Amino acid sequence: MEKKQSSFWKENWLVIVTGLVIGAAAVALSALGNPANMGFCIACFERDIAGALKFHQAGVVQYFRPEIVGIVLGAMCMAMVKKEWRAQGGSSPITRFLIGMLVMIGALVFLGCPLRMVIRIGGGDLNAVVGLVGFIVGIVIGTFPLKNGFTLNRAYKQNKAEGLIFPILLAVLFILSLVTTLFALSTEGPGSMRAPWIAALLIALVVGALCQRSRLCMAGGIRDIVLFKDFHLILGFAAVIVAVLIGNLILGKFKLGFADQPVAHSDAVFNFLGMVLVGWGSVLLGGCPLRQLVLAGEGNSDSAITVLGFLAGAAVSHNFGLASSAKGIGAGPVLWVLIAGFVFLALISVEGKIAQDA
Amino acid sequence: MTYVATFYTHAAAMLTHRTMTKNGIAARMMPVPRELSSSCGTCVRYEAPDPCYAMLDRDVEQVAEAAETGYVIRRTYQ
Repeated sequence: MEKKQSSFWKENWLVIVTGLVIGAAAVALSALGNPANMGFCIACFERDIAGALKFHQAGVVQYFRPEIVGIVLGAMCMAMVKKEWRAQGGSSPITRFLIGMLVMIGALVFLGCPLRMVIRIGGGDLNAVVGLVGFIVGIVIGTFPLKNGFTLNRAYKQNKAEGLIFPILLAVLFILSLVTTLFALSTEGPGSMRAPWIAALLIALVVGALCQRSRLCMAGGIRDIVLFKDFHLILGFAAVIVAVLIGNLILGKFKLGFADQPVAHSDAVFNFLGMVLVGWGSVLLGGCPLRQLVLAGEGNSDSAITVLGFLAGAAVSHNFGLASSAKGIGAGPVLWVLIAGFVFLALISVEGKIAQDA
Repeated sequence: MTYVATFYTHAAAMLTHRTMTKNGIAARMMPVPRELSSSCGTCVRYEAPDPCYAMLDRDVEQVAEAAETGYVIRRTYQ
């Protein structure tokens, strides 16, 4: 029994520590100025970056978030130190780009990526529990094509440049955001609420490095339970909730309920449907938005393409009124776009199988 | 001997698992051990007298032997 316990810690301590650090970091970043229950949110922060780059004109969500830059560069440095950095790609880039767009559109209907969903749960936001149910349903749907032989086909080794372009471009744009006034910057709304950039960057570097070591993934945990009854990654998922919950209780920010939650709405149907799209898409991509950033840092150009898809999805969401706000869902054709997204994922799920058989 | 084969795709792991099971080799699919890769794919862990290279799908990445002290890489594919 004692031996079993020690092997549990040996196998799982890193992913648990990573989850606890992310949870603590999220609470700290909110205390330092980021929006409430949004210390970390990959979807929201990429949306803010899309706004800063003027891909969309929603004035309240424009800021070149250092957290995204930090995660990518932290993962890149750690992968290079550990000799795991490898330029590779070529696995269905256009399909990944489009799935990336859909994942972002779904996330912005719900108002958060899977990581923020978990952080919202830790803050007592019950709308995020509805989102979690949708996320699980989406992941379960996504595992059927996997079991049927679905594949986006393999990646191949590529030139170093192919793996370096994205992290370096991100770093250069970030420096430009600091030293010039080229980019848009919110003066009100969530985009104006920000932790000091140096704190955000340093914390995210640590998070990115830890995620590279532990392979933490919000979608992978549930997927591995469904596919293999493997509970390793879900421990990281649970650790984030625990750390956020404790942090919020200490700071007196925990608020249980559906109504008046920060940067959230209570339209259960759309919270659910948005996260079904995110879960399904994430399984087909092989990882949640956080994981895509980490892989992009490791030199995976397929993930870099996916992140560009996220940016495009954010722009489409705000330009066509698909993104929700605290007031509720967007004024655009949200339901139609979600349906189109489901149809696309269904077609891809079936087509991927045929590609494998051929 | 216990071996672990990693793959470039989940589908390749599944096809290999299927082939091995058909040929009476005790194999199961699981997440790739962290020691073997920073990517988060699916591997096949199997018990066999030799590494059964012929049964591996063409998208195989690596075959390692699970020893007491850790994994010993037996073959790497590009």
